[in-house]
Amino acid sequence: MRKSIAILAWVVLVAFLIVAAVQMRDFGEPKYDDMDQHFLDNSQIDDETNNVVAAVLFDYRGIDTLGEATILFSAVSGVIAVLRKMRKVKRGVESG
Amino acid sequence: MNWKMSRVVTTIADVLVAPIAIFGIYLILHGHLTPGGGFQGGAVVASSTALLIIAHGAFGEHKKDLSSLESTGLTLFILLALFGLGYTMFYNYLAGTGTLFGAEVPSGINPGYINTGGTVTLMNIAVGMEVIAALSLILWMMAKRSGSMDLETSRSEVEE
Amino acid sequence: MFWIYQILHLLVLLSLIVTALAVVRFKDLISAAISLGASSLLLSLEFYLLRAPDVAIAEAAVGAALTTAIYIFAIKSTEREEGYK
Repeated sequence: MRKSIAILAWVVLVAFLIVAAVQMRDFGEPKYDDMDQHFLDNSQIDDETNNVVAAVLFDYRGIDTLGEATILFSAVSGVIAVLRKMRKVKRGVESG
Repeated sequence: MNWKMSRVVTTIADVLVAPIAIFGIYLILHGHLTPGGGFQGGAVVASSTALLIIAHGAFGEHKKDLSSLESTGLTLFILLALFGLGYTMFYNYLAGTGTLFGAEVPSGINPGYINTGGTVTLMNIAVGMEVIAALSLILWMMAKRSGSMDLETSRSEVEE
Repeated sequence: MFWIYQILHLLVLLSLIVTALAVVRFKDLISAAISLGASSLLLSLEFYLLRAPDVAIAEAAVGAALTTAIYIFAIKSTEREEGYK
């Protein structure tokens, strides 16, 4: 029973992957390219920046970079909260 | 926990730390001209810190200064973004004004000048500070709270 | 000259599959972590061949250096061998 469920899940997954691979677009031709030429033309005019990637990251799509920095900050907060120094709490073990 | 690896490892790590860190700082400072930027350069500098920690152990107490450096970078980034609120957030108000990082770029292909970019350059530096401090702090905390570097405890030794 | 890039892509992707299988098959966890680092380095080489140098630098720094270091710190707090309790 478990083996047949596993084989069924495998077949469904492979079918989805084959459909996705058949429908895949050609390399270098994304579905939405309305803003590409605007970025390439105007990054030296708007930002005085040679690197179009830096212009997109820090000016046109700056909110996304702010979210990425916030994710890193919350990751560090989680690590500090998990790995903080534990105080030894006295429990009533010897009374039992 | 503190440990120290053998002399070969510590010597090679001490030699290699400075070029890796300088390459990372180069990636941060030239983020508006060449591939790379704040995140990539910060990750390279943090990998040099990882080399130092693996060779010498989690030395010293660096929680306070690393977390203050990280908070400084993030606050600087948000303030630089908020100063442009006269137009929109993340408006590049320094580009082309002739002040800090405000030289004009000749349009088309050019060799690249370091004094350009406006807020893009400053935001690269701010994000670089934040990423260096964040990744180094994660590595340092995990090395401080983990066991010794004695990796040779095989299964037979543990069972005895 | 185009076929050189095709052969390079094929070699890099085949060795990526080999290192990814090695990560799963190793019983020694340190060897598995280092295979993961090698796989990440090959992935950054593939990004560079696809002309995305930004992503290649980020992948090489984070995937090959920092993740391996964090895995080694985690392994040395626990057991080195897989399947021991």
